[in-house]
Amino acid sequence: MNVNGFEPKIVAFTCNWCSYAAADLAGTSRIHYPPNVRIIRVMCSGMVDPVYVLKAFEAGFDGVLIAGCHIGDCHYLSGNVKAQDRIATLRRLLHTLGLEDERLRLEWISAAEGSGFAETIKEYVGQLKQLGPSPCRREATA
Amino acid sequence: MTLQDVVKETRAFYCLECGKCSGSCPISRHNPAYSPRVMVENALMGLENDLVHARELFSCLTCYACHLRCPSDVDYPLFIQKTRALASTQGEHGDCAHSGSLQSLARLMANPAIKQRRLEWLSNGYRAAAQGDVLFFVGCAPYFEPFFEDIGVNALQPAKGSLKILNSLGIEPVLLEDEKCCGHDLLWTGDTRGFKELAEHNAAIIKKAGVKKIVFSCAECYRTFKEDYPKHVSIDCELQHISELLSDSMDKEGLRLREVKKKVTYHDPCRLGRHLGIYEPPRNVLQAIPGIELVEMARNKEDSLCCATSAFTNCDACSKQIRVERLLEAKYTGAEVLITSCPKCQIHFKCAMVSKGKEKGPDVEIPVMDLAEFVASALGAEDEQQE
Amino acid sequence: MAESKNDVKIGVYVCHCGSNIAGTVDVEDLTAFAQEQGSVAVARNYKFMCSEPGQALIKKDIEELGLNRVVVASCSPRMHEPTFRRVCEDANLNPYQLDMCNIREQCSWVHKNGATAKAKALVSAAIARAFYLEALETREVPVTSAVLVVGGGIAGIQAALKVADGGRKVYLVEREPSIGGHMIQLDKTFPTLDCSACISTPKMAAVKSHPDIELMTYSEVVDVQGFVGNFRVTIRRKPRYVDESLCTGCGICQEKCPWKAESEFDCGLGQRKAIYTPFPQAVPNVPVIDPEHCVYILKDGKCGACLKFCERGAVDFSQTEKMVEIEVGAIIVATGYDLMDPSAITRLGYKRFPNVITSLEFERLCSATGPTGGHITVNGKEPKSVAIIHCVGSRDEKYHTYCSRVCCMYALKFAHLIGEKIEGAQVYQFYIDMRCYGKGFEDFYQRASSEGVTFVRGRPAQVTDFAMSPEEKGKLVVVCENTLLGRPMRVPVDMVILCPAMEARADAKEVARLFNLSQSADGFLLERHAKLEPVATANDGVFIVGCVQGPKDIPDTVAQALAGAAEALSLIDRGSVKLEAATATVNEALCHGCGRCEEICEFHAPMVRLNGRLIPVSSINEALCKGCGACAVACPTGAISIRHFTLQQILAEVEALSGVPV
Repeated sequence: MNVNGFEPKIVAFTCNWCSYAAADLAGTSRIHYPPNVRIIRVMCSGMVDPVYVLKAFEAGFDGVLIAGCHIGDCHYLSGNVKAQDRIATLRRLLHTLGLEDERLRLEWISAAEGSGFAETIKEYVGQLKQLGPSPCRREATA
Repeated sequence: MTLQDVVKETRAFYCLECGKCSGSCPISRHNPAYSPRVMVENALMGLENDLVHARELFSCLTCYACHLRCPSDVDYPLFIQKTRALASTQGEHGDCAHSGSLQSLARLMANPAIKQRRLEWLSNGYRAAAQGDVLFFVGCAPYFEPFFEDIGVNALQPAKGSLKILNSLGIEPVLLEDEKCCGHDLLWTGDTRGFKELAEHNAAIIKKAGVKKIVFSCAECYRTFKEDYPKHVSIDCELQHISELLSDSMDKEGLRLREVKKKVTYHDPCRLGRHLGIYEPPRNVLQAIPGIELVEMARNKEDSLCCATSAFTNCDACSKQIRVERLLEAKYTGAEVLITSCPKCQIHFKCAMVSKGKEKGPDVEIPVMDLAEFVASALGAEDEQQE
Repeated sequence: MAESKNDVKIGVYVCHCGSNIAGTVDVEDLTAFAQEQGSVAVARNYKFMCSEPGQALIKKDIEELGLNRVVVASCSPRMHEPTFRRVCEDANLNPYQLDMCNIREQCSWVHKNGATAKAKALVSAAIARAFYLEALETREVPVTSAVLVVGGGIAGIQAALKVADGGRKVYLVEREPSIGGHMIQLDKTFPTLDCSACISTPKMAAVKSHPDIELMTYSEVVDVQGFVGNFRVTIRRKPRYVDESLCTGCGICQEKCPWKAESEFDCGLGQRKAIYTPFPQAVPNVPVIDPEHCVYILKDGKCGACLKFCERGAVDFSQTEKMVEIEVGAIIVATGYDLMDPSAITRLGYKRFPNVITSLEFERLCSATGPTGGHITVNGKEPKSVAIIHCVGSRDEKYHTYCSRVCCMYALKFAHLIGEKIEGAQVYQFYIDMRCYGKGFEDFYQRASSEGVTFVRGRPAQVTDFAMSPEEKGKLVVVCENTLLGRPMRVPVDMVILCPAMEARADAKEVARLFNLSQSADGFLLERHAKLEPVATANDGVFIVGCVQGPKDIPDTVAQALAGAAEALSLIDRGSVKLEAATATVNEALCHGCGRCEEICEFHAPMVRLNGRLIPVSSINEALCKGCGACAVACPTGAISIRHFTLQQILAEVEALSGVPV
């Protein structure tokens, strides 16, 4: 049910070596995607503390994307594996809280996948539009 | 509310500067920067800015050790609670442990639009009713379970144990799907707004459920409902901690206990012990289990040493030192199990046992169990399977 | 921190980047918005912030307005963060109190509508973070004055020589028994038609005799520890079973050895012995014994011919694998390429027809040291007509999409060589495009054309031995469309040479992991910047040169090898390297000594030690810390924070990003 005119707000934590570079590549390749996503650069997906996600929901974001390197390609060896484990635990908390699984998304995007990044964003925005505003939002308006 | 109001409300102006509080305070003993007496003096001198921005404002465990001994009856814990509320309006919240995840979780839960799925752990082994007179308040256990699994704490065990006990006594309690955190941690870290939202929500759903009695396995939830809720909302129910209920029921028909040949010691949680004066019921319960030898730690009952972290805030090197002290005290008794009746105590003690570095501190390994969990494990005949 | 919240003065600089940003983002509106944010002392915008006048603007404000934070909203920090950090340093502001805001690659270039709103959100986040940024000092550590070169092909050889000529110690590690790589397998090289062996063997000899090069052949790198300037590398030296110090290279052992195996050097077209040097000009000229074909090893002491005939007693079956540890300041990876196996493209007949060969196999046939002594024959017969098929497995969605770069040129070379060696031979080139871009390449193409090569523009559909006419009997027929004429063709030939794609080595993934490098989408190793940093990698101090980075010819390989040498020498001559400043740090007052940090770190940076206390406490070895953040997240009390990426800074960004509606 797409609430009329609802524009989801997404925060994306992207790692410096892969997914942030992929977002840059989408830029240099001029591949367009919706402006709903706001990117925060971290050094590694393994740097993403679960509290970032919780605070993001508190701050009113409708979706959180964490994007790191493909497994095996992490610049810091297996920071992405650590991220994966932590997010598995976080998902259980969010599930109990009643948040839909789709509101937290974990992707592996390499530095060469500029179009992959753009596609992911396009798809995610569409998905969140269907899902509607986060129940954690405090205000009524987008 | 101003600092002056706080001073008045808590009788802080009666302070004699005698130092009994600082002498009793476990934090003061390890952290020279902290002194309850100095905190109060700051307030009396009107040094609001210093007080409100001091890191140590959030170090107090609100364990009541000072409160019980203060000859002037200064309500120091309340003083801390209210001053922290003031500090919160100025953006202070202490050093949140776990990066503030637990506090964030409580605030998210407080959101009216949230629709939780907090009873998925309930299996066929437990009997709950859709309606009834007795409510079992689960608390944050469904959230603590994934969060603290890695340190060996199964946070749902006290709830499960309590349910087993209640079922054995012929009680099928109501369990509410949209129950929320009691708000203890938010209240004690100055987020009164968050606390009120949670309290109001819980009061509303409890009223709707039409129950007459609420049973708790968590000492903090119990204290919060008993002492703090009445100031903000109306809960028209009898409130009881599982240790009290058990203590009244040890000779009852349904409670068939196996023999448990174990030497155990009991740690009085601050919220149950000093806050509410409940020392004997848990001990009665333990002593009524056949085979149990209950030994006391050097500091017990009113003198019990706090588990050293309150509201997941300012958990620091000092907290670790206090915990190590307490655990060594427990081991010294020769007890095989350390029993407590508060999930926080259990979590903090287990956390203190984590030792993965190359060099380690003193050996503080000792099994820690919740009272309800322990009693539930002793229920029934030898061959009955536990959950 | 002496600085109070009220003392923070942020300068915000919005770049137009010409029309790259200003064309989509309302820079004036953005500047006005920035000016309204808390602690912002000044907000400006300018056409090109990275230009001299742009930089001067920032410096002036820092000096005159006493700014202690700078936010630059422009291109990606991966582009210009170092530039603006230098600007801050020049103006005596700590470079870590700069925050960059990406409103080009991640805003103006990817959004049409909503770009300005998003830019506002991004800028407010950068400002919120900048508020909490702290001055950080960078430490310097000394650089070990030695270089490891991995791979002894022309790239590795050239890099090693140049670094050693610069007066620095070089370890050159090569997996095969001899250096030389693929280049020494070639006959002649384009466009000069130099004899490949003639130009590479002097270099190989120079490597052997250079006092500053320690050559380790038949050896592999198995572990790399440490960081830029301070690498500790473990090398596995495989047993040759021949003592290098005693062997004179007389070759009698090879003569007398009764056991044969396929010669890898000759691409399986010829044979070698169980004790062998891969080719006569091998460096070192010391044979190795192949344990899979040596009967002494396989059958426990039976045979022993080499033992018997070696006058110096150099054969030593008691040798075992040795692990050697070296310390170097820089590593140059030059492990080269593999040629794709075209048997996957079954319709071209490779491995089905003996006279369909690859380019490398052709090189061996042409080479005087090859299995046929330089005669181009298949099964003893000289081909009168040869087809050369370009783009086999390259420019192909099914195999490799990239162009293999060198094939057009060597195909022309082959045409010339065939013409030279076989009187009246007819050569056909089946191509899609002729790529003759380099110096002297166009001339080479014209020469080939003048020598009577037939160019057929059409990618062959099939190579078949099914004759449909008397001319085709006993021949291979190349079936294609001549796209320029617009009609199908069947070309009967005696031999087909395939130009398979150059591809990344089969173990490229393992090599990448070993040196902590990334691979590009095509499987080759990834350079740091496609244009401006072609040999540097994401791993400081490790450089990639030659075909390991992508297909290229010998001049380009040598150029990269020299570039890699320059990078390595630059690092070593500097003598010290600045450590990452954004490392983890422990607040001892919050530390429980639980050891979760030590457990989780893969770089062994956190150490939990008693230091005479009752309860241990953690500390971070900043030389080893990479600033990845894993320990900070694992720490339950918040004792560990990552400089420049503190919880406070990131949560400030999260909060601010949410403040502006989409």
